[in-house]
Amino acid sequence: MAIDILRRLLLLCVFCVAQALVLNHIHLFGFATPLLYVYMVLSFPMGYPKWAVLLWSFALGLAIDTFSNTPGVASASLTLIGAIQPYFFALFVQRDEPESIRPSVQSLGLMKYSFYVFVLVLLYCVVFFALEMFSFFHWLWWLECVGGSTLLTVLLVLTLESVRKR
Amino acid sequence: MRNLLEFLAKYNHWIIFVLLEVVSAVLLFRYNTYQGSVWFSTANAVAGKVYEWNSAVESFFSLTRVNEELALRNFYLERQVNQLSRLYGELTRDTSFLERSERQLLSQYQLLPAKVVDNSLDKPYNLMTINRGRLDGVKPDMGVACGNGVVGIVYLVADHYSVVMPVLNLKSRISCTIRRRGYVGYLAWYGGDPTVAYVEDIPRHARFRRGDWVETSGYSSIFPPGVLVGKILQVYNSRDGLSYRLKVQLTTDFSNLRDVLVITDSTVAERVKLLDAARDSLRIGADD
Repeated sequence: MAIDILRRLLLLCVFCVAQALVLNHIHLFGFATPLLYVYMVLSFPMGYPKWAVLLWSFALGLAIDTFSNTPGVASASLTLIGAIQPYFFALFVQRDEPESIRPSVQSLGLMKYSFYVFVLVLLYCVVFFALEMFSFFHWLWWLECVGGSTLLTVLLVLTLESVRKR
Repeated sequence: MRNLLEFLAKYNHWIIFVLLEVVSAVLLFRYNTYQGSVWFSTANAVAGKVYEWNSAVESFFSLTRVNEELALRNFYLERQVNQLSRLYGELTRDTSFLERSERQLLSQYQLLPAKVVDNSLDKPYNLMTINRGRLDGVKPDMGVACGNGVVGIVYLVADHYSVVMPVLNLKSRISCTIRRRGYVGYLAWYGGDPTVAYVEDIPRHARFRRGDWVETSGYSSIFPPGVLVGKILQVYNSRDGLSYRLKVQLTTDFSNLRDVLVITDSTVAERVKLLDAARDSLRIGADD
């Protein structure tokens, strides 16, 4: 358990630093920013305590907020994803699979896994950018941000996943 | 009671969820005005330090370009000084005056060099973090400039870092004037292109040309007069038709900003105090 906590803490720091120093400065076509840290919340295994998922998501969101001058935006939307993730992942798992199955390409298959990632990342981007702008005055801009960031993030998550496999 | 406890045990994660969301919402609404968000933004010591390391590495790689730019600027200024002092010497046959006035100007406006550790260009409310804070003598509402021109105004101050509101912020307003013509307006930015801003409220009777230089007016007591802002690109009518609006090409390159100067002007406080005193005494006089 302690090792698990340490590993996740390290992962949190790595995602946070990567986001603050590299990914936050990417604005593909002026609007698509990769929000890769969602990957950490996406990869909690099946039997992981739900309250722990929530606390991890909140902590990660808080750290991201501190580094990108958006207090509360990432933490609120990541906590939401953290609450949904265990239930949503359960939909993809067959009854005869082992208890502590982890969401990955191997365990779900590429199509199912991509769909799983896409839905959660899309939901995250919708909530994140809605909270960040807090008005639908520039709704076209908002749509561009959501769409671009979702695609870029999904692409990065799948890349990371395929690198991890080896 | 037993049922209640059981209910709580079964659904504890939903309770945590609601709690965390409430905390997030409080953060969202409490701190997003950026007032007092020093502890929860890039002005905070940890985040500031990380960005400082990052910008140290980045600035190392852009040193060549910065050097070139500095050398060019230096050359230009040297030439200007030479020309001016020659002209002045020809006109008055007095060479000691220039030196004296230069020294006076510099002592009047104390400058504090600082490094930009975090910066953004793509948002409507861009902010910039610099590595000088309260302990270095920076206070809110001090002007920030760089070798190429005006940068912004100090907005929030922590012990070692401060957040600057650059020209590229919808809320930024800086008083400025057209060089050698003297008409005063204010500089505003409306999002989008980070190289272009607008000067509003230039009076209708003003005479100027495209390509004229715009500089700070010195009326706001934040910037000394004469700090470069930009070059007039185009002239429009304002929305109410009572004044001109100038499209200005900013001389400061915000996308490549590393070294800035905070104007810690010792006379500003004095001037503001004097003005307040004058206003107060006038009001009292009117009451009598």
